[in-house]
Amino acid sequence: MASSVQSAHMELAAWVGSDHLSDDPAVCRAAAVDGKAPALVVYPSTAEEVAGILRIAATAGLTVIPFRNRTQLDIGNPPERYDVGLSLKEMNNVWHYEPSDLTISVEPGMKLGDLQYLAAQDHLWLPLDPPGGVKASLGGTLATNATGPLGHGYGSPRDVVLGMKIATTEGKIIKTGGRVVKNVAGYDLAKLLIGSYGTLGVIVEANLKLYPLPRQRATYVLRAKSLGMARELRRCILATPLHFLRFLLVNPAGARWLRQGTPLAVESTKPEIWMEAGGSERVLERTQKSLEDLCREAGVSVETCGGAEAESVWNRASEFRHAVVEAQPGTVVVRASLPIAACEEFLSAAQQEAESAEFAALGSPGVGTVHAAISGYRDLGDAGSTIRRLRQSARSFGGALVVERCPVALKAPLDVWGDPGDDFDLMRKIKAAWDPQRTLAPGRMIGRI
Amino acid sequence: MNPPPLVRDLIRATSRQAVLWRKEDLLLYEYDALSALRQPEAVVFPTSTQEVVRVIRVAARHGLPVIPRGAGTGLSGGATVAQRGIVVGFSRMNKIVEIDLENQRARVQPGVVNLDLSAAVSDAGYYFAPDPSSQKACTVGGNVAENSGGPHTLAYGVTTNHVLGLEVVLPDGNVVHTGAKFWDRPGYDLTGLLVGSEGTLGIVTEITVRLSRLPEAVNTLVAIYDRVSDATQTVAAITARGITPAALEMMDGFTLRAVEAATHAGYPTDSAAVLLIEVEGLREAVEEQTETIEAVCREHSAREIRRAHSAEERALLWKGRKNAFGALGRIAPNYYVQDGVIPRTRLPEMLEYTAEVEKKYELRIGNIFHAGDGNLHPLIMFDARDPSQCERVGRAAKDLMVKCVEMGGSITGEHGVGVEKNELMPLLFSDDDLAMLRRIKEVFNPLGLLNPGKVLPTGKICGELRVQASVGA
Repeated sequence: MASSVQSAHMELAAWVGSDHLSDDPAVCRAAAVDGKAPALVVYPSTAEEVAGILRIAATAGLTVIPFRNRTQLDIGNPPERYDVGLSLKEMNNVWHYEPSDLTISVEPGMKLGDLQYLAAQDHLWLPLDPPGGVKASLGGTLATNATGPLGHGYGSPRDVVLGMKIATTEGKIIKTGGRVVKNVAGYDLAKLLIGSYGTLGVIVEANLKLYPLPRQRATYVLRAKSLGMARELRRCILATPLHFLRFLLVNPAGARWLRQGTPLAVESTKPEIWMEAGGSERVLERTQKSLEDLCREAGVSVETCGGAEAESVWNRASEFRHAVVEAQPGTVVVRASLPIAACEEFLSAAQQEAESAEFAALGSPGVGTVHAAISGYRDLGDAGSTIRRLRQSARSFGGALVVERCPVALKAPLDVWGDPGDDFDLMRKIKAAWDPQRTLAPGRMIGRI
Repeated sequence: MNPPPLVRDLIRATSRQAVLWRKEDLLLYEYDALSALRQPEAVVFPTSTQEVVRVIRVAARHGLPVIPRGAGTGLSGGATVAQRGIVVGFSRMNKIVEIDLENQRARVQPGVVNLDLSAAVSDAGYYFAPDPSSQKACTVGGNVAENSGGPHTLAYGVTTNHVLGLEVVLPDGNVVHTGAKFWDRPGYDLTGLLVGSEGTLGIVTEITVRLSRLPEAVNTLVAIYDRVSDATQTVAAITARGITPAALEMMDGFTLRAVEAATHAGYPTDSAAVLLIEVEGLREAVEEQTETIEAVCREHSAREIRRAHSAEERALLWKGRKNAFGALGRIAPNYYVQDGVIPRTRLPEMLEYTAEVEKKYELRIGNIFHAGDGNLHPLIMFDARDPSQCERVGRAAKDLMVKCVEMGGSITGEHGVGVEKNELMPLLFSDDDLAMLRRIKEVFNPLGLLNPGKVLPTGKICGELRVQASVGA
């Protein structure tokens, strides 16, 4: 393998220029995935360069993992092999931006924060708040279908992508979809690439749908007396015609975490519901009044906040997955995907399964996603069996559980994705049809595909 | 006459009442809403997934393709027989299997009629958002196959945004389940790939859909214009004010007069164009948006703005819009509905171009669009008995499609590719693009037994639109 890396090194250097490639051990270590460092890191600046890199790597039998800001890179099983790190940090161009059409075409290395800044000049935004927040790249957000609390109001990346260009392992650049909001010509390959974790091709351009920025926003906080009451409140609120951009359910530890270091820090011992609404003053007044009417019977008061205070809390929510691990290395973060109705019950069951471990959870019950951080477990064996019990619990509610962050040593025995379903054979065949050499992120995705 | 061996096998796979095979019984199945192609060898109406599996095994044994069919309302020939084959009709798999309101989900068989699903949950305050004009007849299975849209997809997205999971029979008889009742199931999004694949990747036998909350308030407005360009400019101006109406439709004067003659919906017959605008949501938001929209319309020289004052008035306006194709069928022996997409800001330019095309080919074209999302439905009027007209219709339609692509748009926004536009796919896609689509098809449908001759170009006729001769209404 070493010799094929060497000969590919020369070919890649000739292709992208020797200043766009590095084998410096420190650089390679910084590009490591699950502790495995590549032999080379390349920095293409065009879609054609990406395609060429994939072709050269595939021909030489080398493996490639694309990344940008590493905000989602911890998700996945450890790579079987990892020779070339494909950094997309030099691909930040905006190709088309038509504010009046509400569309934008960007390269994958562009950071969400930069796009939001640009769009905000025209009172527009891309309503996504993936883990990693503004630091997340567009490519990474789409490749992992990463969603945050805004998923409640706007859906997931799959709902905002109009089309894309994809570099294939044969060195081709193909397109799917377009720059218009309705398009049914051909199979929707963008759907296939979104959430494929870089295992089928590299997204080199994405056409996205933008939305008008809400005129004003307000955040409402309800402190429920129990998860059972939280469920009742969620049921009642979601049955009203009120519209929320974000809808977050947090357990007491999650609430403490969310408020920590913000002006809203208070000692929380109860589950809380955090909601954000957008619109005109009248719409927000009405929203608050309806919430107050609804909560009065339950004896729950509606706290409101806005501006920088609320912003700081929502930013904390985006940083949850990363910050909990930084605060306490070894923290396990899982994502449970559940039927909407099961979220509170899952939280309650999970709390018990986690036993003595510290358990902080942020959920979006309106869409059925719960992120939970587990720390303070006795040892890896204890952590592993906790995760298995949580996964069993998610399954018993008709859901699934993915381990998004955990110590690498836990990944091998666990399989972070859980068991695939009866459609896995099709996924395996698609992988074989598009990436026959298994050049892209081998072993990382579901079923170690 | 004794049934041939194929029919005997199909009867064994289902039941005697489930198979049509006499020539006169097959006539209807030459058609969908595009045109007539060929007669199938047989039509079979399975009642369960297991029967679908048995049918597909019979078809494979006889080396015959299978063409799934819902209500036959499709506009691109997707449910017609391109070569030979067995039509699998889903009219007997029309059960709503489960309604789960707390989870905002329903599980349905593919033959459930779109509007019946909404009706089944409307008392509880829910509905199924995709609303194609044919929603009284078309099926959810057909919506999934075509990734159908409708006027209200402007705000709520098309079918793919409302489908979470599918049960699918593959050509080898295997049954697989994609997606789930919850969103973001780990793994590749095969549901997203299958929606809009026009029956060429698998036969869908059950669908899990998202149900949406009915809005608290709805306002329907008609803005009337003396100049078409004022109407098209209003469209972009509404968006620029940060408003996404639930629907934003446009009809030109020619179309209006036909609609009014057929429906008596109250559309003005002396105007150049109208916008049909609907805003939905919280009462307060609807009132404010209505005021803003009215102001924008006036700024763009709307002659008059009317509001629907009752549910009946609203229903009548929509009836006019949704039956517009049929209404135009009253004024010419035949019409050809096109379906193209452009960026919405290019509407004024596109309309000017359409007028040029009308002149160039000496054909009358009615303009009706989902203006808010740039989805055009030019209706070309003609007489199919005149070969010269037929030829001009084909050229005019192709010119319009080429223009859509030049503007950065697409050759179909919601009607699908089918047999109508598969040879036009190279306008949008390179050989490399098409090669990767073919690989997907080979994974699911390696022997080409599912709905052959659709979506992908066959290469037999180059760059041609299949001109159809709709029989009109």
